[in-house]
Amino acid sequence: MKDVDGQNPSAPSDRISPWRLNAIFFFFCAGFVYVAVGLSYRQLVQNVELIKDSVAQSQRVVILPPSRGKIFDRNGYVLVDNRVRWSVKADLLALQPEFRKEYLSLLKKEKDRFPDRRPDYDQLQQTARLNVLNAWLTKIWFVIDSTNQKAAKGTPKVKSTPDLHPEERMVHPDALRKHLSERRALLFPLILDLAFPNSGHTVTPEEGNRSVARFIEQFPVQGPITLEADMVRSYPNGKLASHVLGYVRDTDILKSKLDDAVVDEFFKLQKIGHVGKKGADGIEATYNEVLSGYSGWELWTKTSSGYNKDLLRFEPPKQGADVALSLDTKIQKSAEEALAKIVDSQGKPLPAAAVMLDVNTGEILALASQPSFDPNEMADRVTQAYFDQVNAEGGWLNRATQGLYAPGSTFKLITATAGMRAGKIDWDDILDCGPSYMVGGRAFPEHDPVGYGQVDLEKMLAVSCNVWNYQVGLRTGPENLAKEARRFGLDAPLLQKPVEHDNNSKTELPNPATRMVVPDRAYKQRIAGEPWTDGDTANTSIGQGYLLTTPLHMACLIASIARGETRTTPSIIHDPGRDGRHLGAEAIGLNTQQLNALREGMLRCVEEGTAKSVRIPGLPYAAKTGTSEYFKKGEKAHLAWIIGYAPADNPVVAFCVLVEGQLDTSTWGGKTAGPVARDMILAWQTAADKKDK
Amino acid sequence: MDNNRQGAKASYVALVFFTGLWLILPSAVRRFNREAFAEFQAPALHLVGKGRDLARYWELQSRSPEELVAAARDLARINAALELKIHSLDDARKENTRLREMLRYPQSTEFVTVVARVSVRETSSWWQRIIIRKGRSDGVRPGCPVVFGDRVIGRVSVVHLTTSEVDLVTSPGFRCTAFLEGDDQSRIVHVSGRAGLALSAPRAMVSIIPLDYNPPAGQIAKVMTTGLGGVFPSGLTLGTLEAGVQTTSEKHMQTGALTPAKELSFIQEVSVLIPKYPTAGEILLTPADAGKPEEFR
Repeated sequence: MKDVDGQNPSAPSDRISPWRLNAIFFFFCAGFVYVAVGLSYRQLVQNVELIKDSVAQSQRVVILPPSRGKIFDRNGYVLVDNRVRWSVKADLLALQPEFRKEYLSLLKKEKDRFPDRRPDYDQLQQTARLNVLNAWLTKIWFVIDSTNQKAAKGTPKVKSTPDLHPEERMVHPDALRKHLSERRALLFPLILDLAFPNSGHTVTPEEGNRSVARFIEQFPVQGPITLEADMVRSYPNGKLASHVLGYVRDTDILKSKLDDAVVDEFFKLQKIGHVGKKGADGIEATYNEVLSGYSGWELWTKTSSGYNKDLLRFEPPKQGADVALSLDTKIQKSAEEALAKIVDSQGKPLPAAAVMLDVNTGEILALASQPSFDPNEMADRVTQAYFDQVNAEGGWLNRATQGLYAPGSTFKLITATAGMRAGKIDWDDILDCGPSYMVGGRAFPEHDPVGYGQVDLEKMLAVSCNVWNYQVGLRTGPENLAKEARRFGLDAPLLQKPVEHDNNSKTELPNPATRMVVPDRAYKQRIAGEPWTDGDTANTSIGQGYLLTTPLHMACLIASIARGETRTTPSIIHDPGRDGRHLGAEAIGLNTQQLNALREGMLRCVEEGTAKSVRIPGLPYAAKTGTSEYFKKGEKAHLAWIIGYAPADNPVVAFCVLVEGQLDTSTWGGKTAGPVARDMILAWQTAADKKDK
Repeated sequence: MDNNRQGAKASYVALVFFTGLWLILPSAVRRFNREAFAEFQAPALHLVGKGRDLARYWELQSRSPEELVAAARDLARINAALELKIHSLDDARKENTRLREMLRYPQSTEFVTVVARVSVRETSSWWQRIIIRKGRSDGVRPGCPVVFGDRVIGRVSVVHLTTSEVDLVTSPGFRCTAFLEGDDQSRIVHVSGRAGLALSAPRAMVSIIPLDYNPPAGQIAKVMTTGLGGVFPSGLTLGTLEAGVQTTSEKHMQTGALTPAKELSFIQEVSVLIPKYPTAGEILLTPADAGKPEEFR
């Protein structure tokens, strides 16, 4: 259809109005400018941020844990070391094709079995991974377990690995799930410690080496399974000094020492850390900052599925510093061996503690607590069974520093000192001591039913006469007794240390006892809501009643008396420059005759008194025994004590031994605790003689 | 001109076609092809070795009678000395067996020795691989140790019908455990080959050396096989530990370089130690058993 001019009216006009053209041109220009400005802004202004974002998405930092420092004794003997741990690990990225193949196979089976049901894809993926890893693990165990003969004939010649439960030879699903969610980029550990697989199984070093050698020589070098060597905590002496040394446990928090430039660079990057170790008890915990060192790092590119791809940079970790303890391994060993001989009727070791100090410096030469634990069991991963076993035995408690006990007759040294300082008794005063003493209408018994007759200070200490102490205690009064005990620091926390820049622990050993009790009138009123009685004073004078202290406190007390002072600052850290000054120490406040009588009484205790069964011919030493009562499971039992110093004429070492007795009250200070003290003194003497030569 | 273009086009098409065909072929066919090629190549390799032996023979033929007489005399002396040694070793072996029986000590892995000439040693992989003139038909199996005298040369990696490929001690595919001379025999170290250029010095590394290890004073420490891995007999020499052992960056172990036996550079003949019974690793490598771990339980 055409109009009168012969033109088609519906056809567009060939003349476009300029304003429309300009508008289009304007919009195109504006769009172009917008894009150009946007791109310029991105490229010129935001480029740094964008590069960082890009890097953050494509790179990650892997934190590498450092080796911990070693722990030595005072003679340079290694107490805690690091040993090589060979781990078999799987490269999950390299195993992806195998995972995929297994997954597809499982999926097909699942669909064939349940055609109408939607498969659980996540579960299938997890199962596929487990199947592949378990298949590899089975191959690894096959290589490690088998000898050539066994592989051919099925008759093993040499057994090199412990009989592990079948489940211990499989990949634990939870461990794999955790690894994939937290540490997907790292190699997955199939066997954490090839030489010593699973704690609690006895494997000799040669058997361990054989396992490692078999894997190295027989397993293919190339492939997704690799062998890695790192260091793990090792306690070469097993249980020796375990309460002092402590143990380590896993941690994700690793101390690093990155400079500012690196911190800025890594700020946005994803960080993954290998599992490190931190001290959980003993010196490992209190000196964790010193022993830990600084972690290193690796900078990796990562794949879209989160695995590590290429290593870009590497900074090695820095090993922690070493720590030298004041312990003498030989004395420590003798103490622990002697304690192990003290057993109950079933042959089970009795709970006990032993301490030996250097009298002059206060350095601890031995500190043993029984029952104990093997820190090697905790060095990697502790089994619940072992944890429960130690828990049931009460092995976690360090009885030497944390156990609170009534000091029994060893407290008579305080009673005597308090009496003499208060002028209520003198060194040569003689008291009449019968089989009992009436206090507040009640007969307080002597431990010898016949009594001791005429008793002076020396005899009291030699035979440990109770009645002498009842009389002197009552004369001196509870406030003076408490004051004297506090002057010797029986309720003062020990092993305190200043916080240092590289160590923020406030104590040398973890949680030393702080709730020691030196009772007085106010204390009883507060605790029991009752007034103090003479009976309480009599009980306190023989180290019973409300008194509570630790074996370390008693060792410090006797070291102080040996020096003629009131306080000893013990330390577990060896410092050759220690000057022998002790915090808060003052002169004992006795005249020469009084002090000599005190020391002579302790010498007689060993020569002819309650500790004569453990005298050492040719080495006179001074001691005071004690046997206090306590209630164990509702029944009366004995605590056996002995404290003392050696040699008697020139004190060098002071000691304290405590044994928690059985229910049948057959435990006595001299008889039960004495042999431990004797063995420690002999070990010290042997070491000292060697040093002199 | 057009013909040339069409020819080039056809070549590209053929290349793409055959490459694609190779890629889609089943792995069994590809493996067969590779194996067939190795067997096809084997006579040529044999020929090269034989030719070298022939050249050596004619070279010796050209020597003067005096030289040959002197060499024969030396050989006679060496033979006499070796005869004596064989007798003394025989006595020692009998004593050893008697003591083992008395102590009920397990017998060590038994080996059958097969002597093999080196067939080819390519310049491109001089310190990594040699090909020897003994193969499956002679009982050689993958993983067998290869020695020269009491020195470890490497271990067999691939076995063909009449030839075998040997990964040398200096190859990245080689690793084993070792004891260091003068060290406590309860501590093992790790020996592994390192990739290196053909004309560079041979490279192998000794790692996991304890920090407190010190080589014997004034001596070069030997690195010896442990015999614990079930592959190498114990006491064979892998090489010597070079001076200048270095502490690792983490300062908890040491690493050092291994100087392999000097024979490694011009070795012409080796002994393959074939274990009487296959090792577990060898069984794992057998394709029929691969992927069937349940059978190993």
